[in-house]
Amino acid sequence: MGVFNLKKGHDIPLQGTAERHIEKAHNSSAVAVQPIDFRGVRPGLKVEPGHVVKRGSILFVDKQRQNIVFRSPASGTVREIVRGERRSIQRIIINIDADSSESFDVFSRAQVAAFNENKAKSVLLNSGLWPALRQRPFNKIANPDKTPKSIFISAVDTAPLQAETDMLIAGREKDFQLGIDLLSKLTAGKINLSVSSLTEPLFKNIEGVEIHRFSGPHPAGNIGVQVHHIDRLIAGDIIWHISPRHVAQIGSFLNKGEYPGGKIYALTGSELTNRHYVSGFEGAHIRDLISEAITPGKQRVISGNVLTGKSIKAAGFVGFYDDMITVIPEPDGRRFLGWMRLGMNANSFWRLYLSKLIPGKKFAPNTDMNGEERAFVSTGEYEKVVPMDILPVHLCKAILVEDIELMEKLGIYEVAPEDFALCSYICPSKIDFGRIIEQGILSMEKEG
Amino acid sequence: MESIVRFLNNMDKKIKTGPFKIIHPFYGALNTMLFTPGHATSTGPHIRDSIDMKRFMGIVVFALIPSIMVGSYNVGLQAGVEGLFAAFMFGFLKLLPIIVVTYAVGLGWEMIFGHLNGHDIHEGFLVTGILLPLTLPPTIPLWQVAIAVSFGTVIGKEVFGGTGMNLLNPALTARAFLFFTYPGNISGDSVWVALDGFTGATPLAAAANASGSAVEALNSAGFTLDKMFFGFIPGSIGETSSIAILIGAAILLITGVGSWRIMLATTLGAYGMALLVQFFGADVAGGIRTLPAHYHLVMGGFLFGTVFMATDPVSAAGTNIGKWIYGILIGFMVILIRTFNPAYPEGMMLAILFGNVFSPLIDHFVVQANIKRRLNYGK
Repeated sequence: MGVFNLKKGHDIPLQGTAERHIEKAHNSSAVAVQPIDFRGVRPGLKVEPGHVVKRGSILFVDKQRQNIVFRSPASGTVREIVRGERRSIQRIIINIDADSSESFDVFSRAQVAAFNENKAKSVLLNSGLWPALRQRPFNKIANPDKTPKSIFISAVDTAPLQAETDMLIAGREKDFQLGIDLLSKLTAGKINLSVSSLTEPLFKNIEGVEIHRFSGPHPAGNIGVQVHHIDRLIAGDIIWHISPRHVAQIGSFLNKGEYPGGKIYALTGSELTNRHYVSGFEGAHIRDLISEAITPGKQRVISGNVLTGKSIKAAGFVGFYDDMITVIPEPDGRRFLGWMRLGMNANSFWRLYLSKLIPGKKFAPNTDMNGEERAFVSTGEYEKVVPMDILPVHLCKAILVEDIELMEKLGIYEVAPEDFALCSYICPSKIDFGRIIEQGILSMEKEG
Repeated sequence: MESIVRFLNNMDKKIKTGPFKIIHPFYGALNTMLFTPGHATSTGPHIRDSIDMKRFMGIVVFALIPSIMVGSYNVGLQAGVEGLFAAFMFGFLKLLPIIVVTYAVGLGWEMIFGHLNGHDIHEGFLVTGILLPLTLPPTIPLWQVAIAVSFGTVIGKEVFGGTGMNLLNPALTARAFLFFTYPGNISGDSVWVALDGFTGATPLAAAANASGSAVEALNSAGFTLDKMFFGFIPGSIGETSSIAILIGAAILLITGVGSWRIMLATTLGAYGMALLVQFFGADVAGGIRTLPAHYHLVMGGFLFGTVFMATDPVSAAGTNIGKWIYGILIGFMVILIRTFNPAYPEGMMLAILFGNVFSPLIDHFVVQANIKRRLNYGK
């Protein structure tokens, strides 16, 4: 067990947290499974428009690894297969009908305990929940041909307005335990579970995990940061990670023998008036979850949090890995002498605005860039929001000059774009660190 | 307001595509200075910090205001103008033409390179354009300023690829150019007082030329420690008043725009070196080596350079440990030049340029140490 009190980082004080109560989604019209949610997957379709599918039917497989399957979270009829550039498949939309499910074998704790690695792998691959397991390096779906040195689960909620883990899996200790039992067969190493409080009742009696306590501002809850402090990646290492909610989903699959298509979301953001948790389907339609009106162009709907989420249309669907929806305002036009303002309402990491003098003040910022892109200025502030022994500016410069060897030496294997989201947020030159890191990871993958 | 914004947007389109597109970098800068660009983010992070380069550089200019005020007043005072306001106006009217020439010539170059490279005029020039005049004597001929700014902008910055890529601080590059090409107009005894035929040595020169104790020489020339601290002494326009610079330093430190590591390291480096010189100079008959260490901190361009020049985030070392080494190196060098180099009584400009040249190397070693830690992990 380790206790890690991280000092570096920044919690953006935002208005719009979700109230801690769960409501049922007011409608369930459609769901979508979106291949674009899964980095590097080339989908091989198994359905066509008009096909009737059950909850748990296979919709597509990964062409490169056919044993990784993607199953439908709801039963109904395939309405549309949306394609994007060069006919790439963006999403498969299913109109929801009366519930009916594919059935799978049921396993008890004792049965799972007798699994070997291969059996555990094949059960999990067949469940359609394998894509929930992701790996570092390369921040993509775990490669089932490999065995990771350890598995990480973070129940530390530090991202802006983040859905709280205890709300997402309240009362599902049994599912969670069974999920852990299965995961423990996939690695010879440890299962590291990070929590923000050691007395959290949800995890107090969980067996088979090494519990770590993390405290500190965002990104203390990020997997990359936790791996860096618990069991740092060195060249050739692979770790896998999975969210606590997905662990419970795996347990539920084993307990019931059905694909668990339900999911709880936090509805957050300053533009929503009814902010709470809502239970609906995985891949749910935004309109089914949010009942209030949303004006495109005036409000932005984000699947995920404001730092790393994806902007989706008001008629879009929530991403596979996202547990929250954030709605924030779009820019309200050009501001007169904006750079000279006193800034009573200016959200900033820097001590350049009067708002810094009001302790505890929360902001409702819009999606304005607040400036234009400029050259790097190494002020030393970026390091203050990266709680790892990594040099963000030097790593990015190595990527920009495509120096593969230097990227590797500076720790590209350890990171994902999300670990640098705060650098982009605080950057006075408005540089998108995440995009650069993504570019670096892609070129490392190409090099093999 | 909305009609003004519409007008600005229309003008932007017209200039971009019209026959005057060479002025677009300048127009773009003006346009976004009046009204924020108002662009929306496209991907995450969907929200961004309120800070931008205009705010960042604007704070530096703001921090320079005390030095501009006291410096202007002191130019009048040294020329014998009576009365607080009259002295200030006298000095300010000496400073203003230098600033105007610096901005006009510098912005002209920025516009040409902005046009060639397809970007707006970068905000860094806001600071360069005010820093350079403050490091010059009030008697500097304006045509020399124009040449120096051209050199500083083109050779000091644009040949490296523009703001953010430059190795050397552009303002100091311009000043060094003047220093070596027209030494008679920027050093010696006759340039510091804005009256024809009137000479007045700077305290550093007075201390360097002392035949006995440097402190006695300073005192007999009227340069007491408190006078030097408040800045009522001959010198470059903005560098004389320690108190005004310290107010600026406080602004930079509170806002986090200036690096405290560099400021502290440079001060410690200089003070440490000055203590050494003072200790080993105890048996020296006279000259600057007899000067107590703390005198160095309020004399010459030390403080101005430490607060506003060494901290330039582009030409300084970029890593946090590197900033310590860089600062200490500058502090060490400035005292070394002051006390051991007979040619120049002042060493701050050269010390910072020296630090600028070494900062990539310093960063290189810090980065190598980071790499080594990563390789050794798990062994």
